[in-house]
Amino acid sequence: MTSSSLYPSLASRLGSVWYRHFRTYTKDIVSNGFPPFMEPLIFLAGMGLGMARYIPNLVEMSYLQFLATGLLMTSSMFTAAFECTFGTFIRLEFDKTYDGMLAAPLTVSDVVLGEALWAGTKGAFFSLAVLIIISAFGIVGFLPALLTPIIGFLNGFLFAAIGLLVTSFVKNINHFNFFFTGLLSPMFMFCGTIFPIANLPAPLRVVAEFLPLTHPVRLGRVAALARGWKPSLLLDLAYVLAVAAVVMYFAVRRLSKRMVK
Amino acid sequence: MANQAIQVERIYKTYADGTAAVNDVSFSVPEGSCFGFLGPNGAGKTTLMKMLFGMVRRDGRAETRVDVMGFDPAFQELPIKHLCGVVPQDDNLDSEVNVGANLFIYSKFYGLPAKEARARIAELLDFMELKEKAKAKVNDLSGGMKRRLVIARALMNRPRLLILDEPTTGLDPQVRQLIWDKVRALKREGVTVLLTTHYMEEAYQIADSIIIMDKGSRVLEGEPHELLAEGIEPWVLEVLDKEGITSCQDGPLSERIRCEVGESRAQFFSDHPESLRDLAAAFPSGRTHLRPTNLEDLFLRSTGRKLNDQQ
Repeated sequence: MTSSSLYPSLASRLGSVWYRHFRTYTKDIVSNGFPPFMEPLIFLAGMGLGMARYIPNLVEMSYLQFLATGLLMTSSMFTAAFECTFGTFIRLEFDKTYDGMLAAPLTVSDVVLGEALWAGTKGAFFSLAVLIIISAFGIVGFLPALLTPIIGFLNGFLFAAIGLLVTSFVKNINHFNFFFTGLLSPMFMFCGTIFPIANLPAPLRVVAEFLPLTHPVRLGRVAALARGWKPSLLLDLAYVLAVAAVVMYFAVRRLSKRMVK
Repeated sequence: MANQAIQVERIYKTYADGTAAVNDVSFSVPEGSCFGFLGPNGAGKTTLMKMLFGMVRRDGRAETRVDVMGFDPAFQELPIKHLCGVVPQDDNLDSEVNVGANLFIYSKFYGLPAKEARARIAELLDFMELKEKAKAKVNDLSGGMKRRLVIARALMNRPRLLILDEPTTGLDPQVRQLIWDKVRALKREGVTVLLTTHYMEEAYQIADSIIIMDKGSRVLEGEPHELLAEGIEPWVLEVLDKEGITSCQDGPLSERIRCEVGESRAQFFSDHPESLRDLAAAFPSGRTHLRPTNLEDLFLRSTGRKLNDQQ
């Protein structure tokens, strides 16, 4: 900010919102940092040591590789979705955090967009955590896969936007169950994370193509294996960016009516 | 005439559910003065204040004019927020981090460089007498300390306008005195202060001018001492006794005394304390109380009801 301006720049405002969430999250870094590393470890131990040996490999990769690279995005999806549903709702309704923030030189768009950027960052961090675990097990290489946290960020931002839009409708915190059980759990199963979409019946394959998780998973898997790049991935990228932008637009509009009466 | 920090003409607010929270209110606040909104819960005080920094959207009416330090909050909320500090009704602190970090996080919202922010935070903790608490957890603070921290937070950017929404509700007398002292000190530095309260005492202590509101409208406006002088007799004798109530209901005692009956007490108002002292002798001792009238009595007289009967 220059001394002549009337208020901080957009970048400074978004950065300050991001920083607020960063500080409150990293205050408990040990307990907050435990799940992103532990969960993939448990999942891979169970699936990899136990179940994967009963499952035949795919053409391009082992089943364990398929599963592990799917986990990169489900992990970032869940953390961003939690942050921008339960987290946002608690800040909105119980902690009244936004009343304090909106008294400072921030607009509702700054607060909401800054929050999504933070959730995207968490998504990147969670993807990175999974990458560290799966590369430690030798399932993928670490250095060639360093694009994955970036995909994790985009994925986190996408699900932050969706979470924020859902939150704008929710009046009772228990209603988030519909979102998590009704949308996120099916996506975890059917978006090419634990088995290829090609194995679905034709009509469901079409449905899967419309679901948001499918596209980041496809991008993340290629990024993690650092092979299999093809032009159609640009469509996946375009889907992520376009849906995130449109959903974010409506989330800001609706939350604005809720925060500023 | 001093420059006006705030000028509001004919402002209205109707919420989505149809509640008319503010109904045709106008006022102006000179720079460096303290202006108070008084009234029971639901009178529209908070709504009115929130409209001044864009936290509540006012009704779009052609006759409405709002100017806050040269800006209109409907279109220019950021410059207003940059120039003002807000103490909301709830202490919405970040309980995850300590006192100092709460202030540091807030300094970022104003784009303060880290070094400047740290110096300012030390200054603010000192000013609000929280120096020893810099590393304390928010949840370990008493209610009064939390409140002081929220005030310190609002002062981060050296505001020209300080908005206090019920700053001392629920606090003990010592903390209230301390907060009032701090507000007076800020006023001496030229800060304009806007205050909502339902404590008459608070308005009397720190406000230069007040509006008494009820049901979204202005009931009375003026300087607190003048309002009292013009609006109500200076003395009241309260009688907590049946006899008092009957003697009041029996008719006027004298031309010098006016009386009103409540559910369990009678009040005798007069310009002449000696007449009231004579009257008190007629009732059982210990059941009477002679005191100067206050804004609450005035409020009761102006609205025909008690200050806090509408929660």
